[in-house]
Amino acid sequence: MIVFVLKRLGSAVLTVALSSLLVFFAVQALPGDVAVQVLGRDATPEAVAALREQLHLNQPAWTRYLSWIGSALHGDLGTSLVSGNAVAANLGLHLRNTLLIAVVTVVVAITSSLVLGVVAGLHRDRWPDTVISWLSLVGMSVPEFVVATLLVLIFSVTVPILPAVVLDGPNASVAELLPAIWLPAAALGVVMAAYIVRMARTSVIDVMASEFVTTATLKGLTRWRVVTRHALPSALLPTLNVIALNVAWLVGGVVVVESVFNYPGLGKLMLESVYDRDLPMLQAIALVSAAIYVVCNLAADLAAMALDPKLRTGRRTATR
Amino acid sequence: MNQGEPLVEVRDLSVAYRAGDSDIEVVREVSLRVAAGETLALVGESGSGKSTIATALLGHLRHGSRRTAGSVRVAGQDVFGLAPLALRALRRGTVAMVAQNAGAALTPSMRIGRQVDEALRTVTHTRDTRVRRRRIVELLDHVRLPEPRRLVDRYPHELSGGQQQRVAIAMAIAAQPRVLVLDEPTTGLDVITQRGILDLLAALADELDLATVLVSHDFGVVAAMADRVHVLRAGRTVETAPAARLFADPAQPYTRELLASVPRLSDEPRPSVPAAAPVVTCEHVRAGYGGRPVVDDVSLELRRGEVLALVGESGSGKSTLAAALAGLRTPSGGVLRYLGEPGGDLAVPAGKRPLDLRRRVALVFQNADTALNPRRSVRDAVRRPLTLFGIGPRAERAARTTQLLRDVALDPALQERLPAQLSGGQRQRVGIARALAGEPDVIIADEITTALDVSVQAQVLDLLDELRRERRLACLFISHDLAVVRGIADRILVLYQGKVVEQGSTRAVFAGPNHPYTRALISAALEPDPGAGAAAESAPRWEHDDRDDEWIDTGAGHLIRRWREERR
Amino acid sequence: MIRWLPRSIAARLGLAIVVLHIGLALAAPLLAPYSPVRNDAGHALLGPSWSYWAGTDQYGRDVLSRVLYGGRYALAVSFAATFCTVVIGTVIGALAAFRGGWPDNVAMRVLDAVLSVPPILALLVIVTVFGTGAGVIVLAVTVVYAPAVVRVVRAAAQGVVTADYVTAARARGERTCPILAREVLPNILDVVFVEFAMRASWVVLLISSLSFLGFGVNPPAPDWGLMVAENRTAITVVPWGSLAPILALATLVVGLNVAADGLSKAWGVDRIRTGAP
Repeated sequence: MIVFVLKRLGSAVLTVALSSLLVFFAVQALPGDVAVQVLGRDATPEAVAALREQLHLNQPAWTRYLSWIGSALHGDLGTSLVSGNAVAANLGLHLRNTLLIAVVTVVVAITSSLVLGVVAGLHRDRWPDTVISWLSLVGMSVPEFVVATLLVLIFSVTVPILPAVVLDGPNASVAELLPAIWLPAAALGVVMAAYIVRMARTSVIDVMASEFVTTATLKGLTRWRVVTRHALPSALLPTLNVIALNVAWLVGGVVVVESVFNYPGLGKLMLESVYDRDLPMLQAIALVSAAIYVVCNLAADLAAMALDPKLRTGRRTATR
Repeated sequence: MNQGEPLVEVRDLSVAYRAGDSDIEVVREVSLRVAAGETLALVGESGSGKSTIATALLGHLRHGSRRTAGSVRVAGQDVFGLAPLALRALRRGTVAMVAQNAGAALTPSMRIGRQVDEALRTVTHTRDTRVRRRRIVELLDHVRLPEPRRLVDRYPHELSGGQQQRVAIAMAIAAQPRVLVLDEPTTGLDVITQRGILDLLAALADELDLATVLVSHDFGVVAAMADRVHVLRAGRTVETAPAARLFADPAQPYTRELLASVPRLSDEPRPSVPAAAPVVTCEHVRAGYGGRPVVDDVSLELRRGEVLALVGESGSGKSTLAAALAGLRTPSGGVLRYLGEPGGDLAVPAGKRPLDLRRRVALVFQNADTALNPRRSVRDAVRRPLTLFGIGPRAERAARTTQLLRDVALDPALQERLPAQLSGGQRQRVGIARALAGEPDVIIADEITTALDVSVQAQVLDLLDELRRERRLACLFISHDLAVVRGIADRILVLYQGKVVEQGSTRAVFAGPNHPYTRALISAALEPDPGAGAAAESAPRWEHDDRDDEWIDTGAGHLIRRWREERR
Repeated sequence: MIRWLPRSIAARLGLAIVVLHIGLALAAPLLAPYSPVRNDAGHALLGPSWSYWAGTDQYGRDVLSRVLYGGRYALAVSFAATFCTVVIGTVIGALAAFRGGWPDNVAMRVLDAVLSVPPILALLVIVTVFGTGAGVIVLAVTVVYAPAVVRVVRAAAQGVVTADYVTAARARGERTCPILAREVLPNILDVVFVEFAMRASWVVLLISSLSFLGFGVNPPAPDWGLMVAENRTAITVVPWGSLAPILALATLVVGLNVAADGLSKAWGVDRIRTGAP
C-alpha cells in the first residue's frame, strides 16, 4: 500500500515538473520581445537592452527555467510586468477568492449529483431516471456563460436577491464576498453536476447488473443492504476519475463565469493577464493550475485506494 | 412433509425474453422434481436453458426475461408468487445457489468474513462478534479452506479460483438450506482443484441431506455427482433418467450423440505414428525472467505428421512455449529451430523472420469469438494469408479460398458472412482454414476445443486429425484435458511450472508408470461413467531430484523426470 | 459492413438536429430576411414583430438573421477543429496502444502534462498572440483537445490489441501500419465516431465561450457567443436578443450530445468514458 502511495506521489511530482517545463517553454516560444512589449515600440534600443539585462533575458533558456522553478519552490513566482509587484501575492489573493466559489461548488454539486446519479441508475428507464437524465443532458449542453446569464436574469433582475456584479476588488474580505459567490457557484455547479450524474448513473447500472450484486440479492439480503454495502463501493470507483477531472476543470471554467460577474478571482486574473500580456503572471497561473489538476487526480487515486481493496493489497497471496 | 415428497417441483415452466419485437423462448414447458438427499443434474449445451431454470428455483430471472407459463415450487411454496419479504426469507434459509464464476460472484470491496457473516445471519442471532467470528471460521474450515482464521480478513481477489469457489459454497450452506443449486461449479478450475471441490460438494450434500440441482455441460462432472440426469436441448426436455441408466443406455438419439462425442480415457488409444523426420526442434528453451522463468529448460522435438500434446495446468508454461514458437515472444535462452526447407531460426520474433519461414508455423486459437476480426468477412480472413505470403497466382486466389473452406467442411456459400453470423464450431473451422491458407508445416493448436460444446468439439478434432494426415502436418496440441489429448495425440509432454516432467508416446504415458504429477492429473480426470468414480488417489507430495541424469527411461522414448518424496 | 444508419431513435433525432443546423447555416443567405451586419439605428431594441421575427439588437440589426448567419462560423470552425483533433488523436492513441512499452508510457506522461493546463487558458494565450483567425483557432483547439481523444482511443484500442485476431496478424509477421489499418481501426471506429460527436459538442461550447469573452470573431460579424455578450446588458428590454442565440447554441449541443448518446448505445460502445468539458 505504501508503495502504491509513493508511486502515485512520485508520478504527481513528475507530471507537475513536466507541466512546468511545458508552460515555461511554451511561453518562451511566443513571439514578441518581452522588453519591447513592456517599454513600448518607441523605446530606444539601449533602453531595451538595459531592460533585457535587468530581467536576465539574455541568459540561456534552461538557466532561466531553473531559476524560475527554484524561486517558485520558495514561493516566489516572479514579478508582474504590469504592476511591478510580486506575482505570488496577487495570485494568492485571487486564488483565495476563487476557492470560496470552488469549495461551495464542489461540496454542493458533488453530493447532489452523486445522489441524483445513484437514484437515476437504480430506477433505470423509469420516470425518475428519465427526468434526471434529460436534466443532466441539458445541463451539460449549455455553456457556463449561458447558465450565468440566465441566473442573473432570474435572481438579480427579476427577483433581486443576489448581486449581478461584484464591485469589490480582490482585497475584499471573505465576508464581503460571501453574497457574491452563490450565483457563480450555481452556474458552475450545474455544468459539473451534469457530468457527474451521468457517470454515476452509468456506473450504478453496470454494477447492479454484475454477478456479485446478483449473488448478494440471491442471498436474501434487503435491497437497501445490497445497494449500500455491495453495489455502491464498486459503483463509486469510476466516478472518482470524473469528479477529479471536473474539479480540475473548475480552474478553467471559472474564467467565463467570473467574467460575467466581475468576480475578483483567478479567472478574472487570467483574463487580465492575457489582455496585458503579463507573462510572468500567466506562467504562474498556468503552473498553479497544473498543480491543482495534479493534486485533484492524486486525491482521486488515493480515494480509489480507499474504495478498492485490490489497490491496497496488491498481489494474490495464495496459490491453491 | 413426508419422505420422498419433492422439495423442488417445476411444472411446465416456460421462460422467454424480449428481443426487439419478438419473444425468444429460453425454456419451454420443462417439468422436473427433486427430493431431499437427491442430486439432479441439468445437462445441455449452450443455449439449452439450464442456467435459467437453475436461477428460477430462487425466484430470479435475468433482466428482461419473464415467466410465460408453469410454476416453480420449492419446499411447498410457489416461488414466483411470494411477496418480497417471503422471497427473501426463502433465499436466506431454504434455497441457496453457488454461481458459476466465483471470482465475479464475491463482492470485491468486502472482506470474506463479512460476506459469509451476511449469509449466517438467519441462523446466528447473537450479537456477540466473537461468537459470530468463531462460527464463520468453523464454516470456512468445514469447506476445507486452509488457514481459515487468516482468510476471514482477506478480500476475494487475494484468493485463488478454487478458494473463491469454496467461499461461495460456504456462503451457500451457511444458513443450512434444504435446496442447493450449483451452476457449473467447477468451470475454469484446474483438474485437480475441480476434483477437490466435487468431493466437498458430495460430502456436504450427504451431511445436510440437501436436494441438489447441478447444472453442467461436462459429463464427467455429472457422472461423478448426479443421481438423476435431466437432458435439455434448446429449452426443451429431451430425456430424464437415473444416471446409471442414462450413461449405460440412453433412450434418445440426441443423448446418445452427446455421450458419444465425449472423449474418454477408457477409449482405445490411437495407434502411434511411425517416427518421422523432425521438423521443429527446441533445445533448453527458457522464457521469462526473474526468479522462476515461465519456461524452464524445455527440450522437445516435433516430427512431421505427428500430434504432440503439451499438457499442463495454468502456469505450466505451455502457452508461453507455443507463443515463442509462433514468434510472439522471444525466448530468453535456448535454441528454437525449424528444420525443414528452408531451415531457419525460430527464436526471433515473427516480424523478423523471412517471409517463407513465417508461413511454416500457423496458429489456431482457443476462443473462436476473438480469433476472427468481427468486421471482416470469412473470405477476407482466409484470403489474407494467401495475399500476404503470395501463395499461388492472384487469379487463383478466389478458387483457393473456396477450396480451403471445403477442406474444413464448410459450405463455401458462407464466405460473405461475418463471424457473428456463424456458430462457434463454424468459426473455429474458419480459424483452421485461415491457418492452413499459408500451407504451413506446423500447426499450433492452443486449447482449441476448450470453449466448444462437446458435440462440436468432437467434430473439430476429427477434422484436425484428417487434415494432419492428408497434409503431413506436425501439430503441437496444447490442452489441459487428458481425455481429449488421449484421443488425438501421438506423443505427450507433461509440463509443470515450466519444466517437462514426463514425455513419451500416448500409450506409454497412459499405461504407466508415471511421474506423480501425471498420475495426479490422470486420476483427477473425470470419466463420463458413474461407475468409475473412485476418489482421487492422494498423490505423494514430491519434489524434483536434481541429479546429473535427470531422466528415468522406461523404454521406447518414455522419459520421466527424477523425483523424490518431499522432505519435510 | 459498418451499420451506417443506427437504429436508435436518440441517434437519429440527434443527427437530425445537427443536420438541420447545418442546413440552416448553409441556407442562411437564402433564408435571412436582412443583412446580419446592417445597422439601422432607427429600429433598435425592438421586440419580436412580423417584420423582425426575433426583434432587433441595440444597433438595429435583425436578431434572426444574425442567428442564422452566426451558425456558419461556429459550425465550420467547430467541425474543422473536431475533425483534426479526432484524426490526430486516433492515430496517436491507436499507435500508443499497439506499441505499448516505454514509448506508450512516455507519451502518456507528456499527455498528462498537456492535459493539466486548462484549455481555456492555453487557447486565450494562443489567440492573443497569433490572432483570432479561424486557422489559429482550429490549430489551438487541436493541440488542447487531442490529448483527451488520445486517452479515449487508446483505451478502446487496448481492448482490441489483445484480441486473438491481432495476435494472428502479428504471428504472420505483419507490420504495424497494416495491422492498425486492417485489424485495429475498423474495430474502434464506433468509439471514434461517438467521440467525434461528444468532442464536437465540447468544441462548440469552447469556441462560443471564447467568442463570449471577446476572443473569437471580431464584431460586427455575427456569432452566437458574441451575441450573448453584446446583448447581455439589454436582456431585460429585449430578452430575445440573448435568448435566440442561446436557444440556437443549446439545441445544437443537445443535438450533438443526444446523437453521441444514441450512437454509443446503439453500437454498444463502452459507456464508461471520462466526462468533463
